[in-house]
Amino acid sequence: MELDHALLMQTFFAEAEEQLTAMEEGMVGIEHRPDEPELLDRVFRAAHTLKGNAAVVGLNAIAERANHVEDVLDALRNGTKTVNAELVSSVLSSLDAMRSTLTAAMATETSAAQAELTQDRTTTLRIDSGKLDRMLSLSGEISISRGRLRTQLLAAGAAGEQALESHLEAERLYRELQDEIMRARLVPLGPIFRQYQRVVRDLAIEHGKRAELVIEGEDVEIDTALGEQIRGPIMHMLRNAIDHGIEAPDQRVAQGKTVIGRITLTAKREASHIVISVSDDGAGFSRARIAERASLLSDGGHNLSDDDLFEHVFEPGFSTTDEVTSLSGRGVGMDVVKRNIEALRGTVSIASVDGDGSTITLRLPLTLAIIEGFFVEVGRETFVIPLESVTECQTLAFEDMPHSDGRGVLNFRGKPLPFIRLRDLFELEAVHTGEHEHVAIVRCGERHAGIAVDALLGQDQAVIKPLGRVFRDVPGVAGSTIGGDGRVALILDVPALVALAQDRPHAPKELV
Amino acid sequence: MQQAAKTDYLTFFIAGEEYGVPILRVREILGLDVEALTRVPAAPACVRGVINLRGSVVPVADLAIQFGQRGCTITKLTCVVVVEVAFEGELTVMGLLVDSVNQTMELSGDEVEATPAFGTVARADYLLGMGKATGKKFVLLLDIDRVLSADELRVVPALTSPIAEQAHG
Repeated sequence: MELDHALLMQTFFAEAEEQLTAMEEGMVGIEHRPDEPELLDRVFRAAHTLKGNAAVVGLNAIAERANHVEDVLDALRNGTKTVNAELVSSVLSSLDAMRSTLTAAMATETSAAQAELTQDRTTTLRIDSGKLDRMLSLSGEISISRGRLRTQLLAAGAAGEQALESHLEAERLYRELQDEIMRARLVPLGPIFRQYQRVVRDLAIEHGKRAELVIEGEDVEIDTALGEQIRGPIMHMLRNAIDHGIEAPDQRVAQGKTVIGRITLTAKREASHIVISVSDDGAGFSRARIAERASLLSDGGHNLSDDDLFEHVFEPGFSTTDEVTSLSGRGVGMDVVKRNIEALRGTVSIASVDGDGSTITLRLPLTLAIIEGFFVEVGRETFVIPLESVTECQTLAFEDMPHSDGRGVLNFRGKPLPFIRLRDLFELEAVHTGEHEHVAIVRCGERHAGIAVDALLGQDQAVIKPLGRVFRDVPGVAGSTIGGDGRVALILDVPALVALAQDRPHAPKELV
Repeated sequence: MQQAAKTDYLTFFIAGEEYGVPILRVREILGLDVEALTRVPAAPACVRGVINLRGSVVPVADLAIQFGQRGCTITKLTCVVVVEVAFEGELTVMGLLVDSVNQTMELSGDEVEATPAFGTVARADYLLGMGKATGKKFVLLLDIDRVLSADELRVVPALTSPIAEQAHG
């Protein structure tokens, strides 16, 4: 009996949450497109089902509110009321009230029925994300020890040949297991994205503007930990779009745009990356104002490439807004977004057309824990460059390389390529002995730079290990890993190195 | 401090002096292969590098440098005493580079003297007190949370790279 009640409640809670979300989405949609009767029908259906279900489980407070919402919808249907912001807001606050009643009821229910609920009858399991974290970190440990075993077997030569063969076979299985663990950690971006629909609407109204959020790529999946970490940056980008991008309604009409501003939140999967972008059809970044604020005044910034100009937006304290609003304008902004995204080994870029809107794009790696690394050597130290940022490698005669202060410019296929020499940057003592120097050419956004090292060791998986709190702000180092020889190898921070090579100020990132 | 309670200490030598840390703070003692040490650029001066301790990356501090002496010369006897330190409020595992490990000893509260304001190689505030050993010499009881605190590590100018300085300056 008890079990049945618990299951009934569990089902109710899950469905009620879905119905509330559907109603919320529907109401936001109705506000922008009042002429679509399907939207109204959808909200109506959800309200009706919720009312019935709530009555069955005895949550009368919810049933009554749902009934009230139905009344309002009825009035909309038969034309006694019309859609306006006030009406939508009042329905939305009813939904909020229902949701908090629901949360309270859920808390009581869970504590009462904890034991019974453990028997899940479906084939879908809820797993504590801590367990998934543990599985992932164990698979990382295995990856390190198998790398070590492989190195030892290779060193054993002919004697280890058979063992090496079996080991390589086992490695294939380990990799498969690792992939499965990674896959188990993936969650679709849809639910994360959808929660912003309401936020965008409310924020816009608060600022006397109108905006709707269009979501694309809801099915794209992301590592659950990564999904949590991008919430803040996305929120920030949306705030920016509303405050700086979308114009006031009368201004939009005057420019021949639709009254309601359109912000698009898109997710795409690209090879080993997730690309998330926020575009708006607002005013765009004003090149002149950025140039002005960046004190590049004289030529109005016309000679700068977009990349160079928009780079200033990421500088700490940068703001083009004169007034401080609750949305933005405090100059604490895109630099934080950039730093957070770079801490996740991602990149941020801006594209903008004056008067036509702008797009901010985040490129993120698929996982936080394991990367494909390109191993290089300087003296007796090994370093790892994330493979995704290496575009190619060059071997140059040592004499051909400039030797000033560890930085310089190479002639690379007739084009100047700034490079940085790790030996000098990191003050490694050993003297270069070979006749050649190797340069790994790396890319960060549209910028390229060379990293000069003694030897290129090749590619392998690298499990990212935090360097710990003792090492804060090590320029050029993003973390560490453990190599096949059992030693710690430092993972290079490509965006920082490219900035160093090009002699640009670079916001120090926070190490994990 | 309770008078009757006895505390076990592990003692070791750093630059000729015998130091002790409460044994409950010691996780393990490792021999050190100099090849195993990875240098980290721009690290605090006394941090000689990091080692792989069964999959964890652990910083190794040379306290001789922190005490203003020449750094430890790595020999066959050199050990890493792995300790737990409260670093910025978080329990962190760190290694202490020591010339050699000496002994474990039990000291009761009244066998620990207050540290004199001067006269020790290590600054007086790095010490919890001085333990009376069997011989004439005292064992200097280290306050590892203090010696290895973020503030103290930053006091000694870190080896910043000239390039990094230019870029930030």
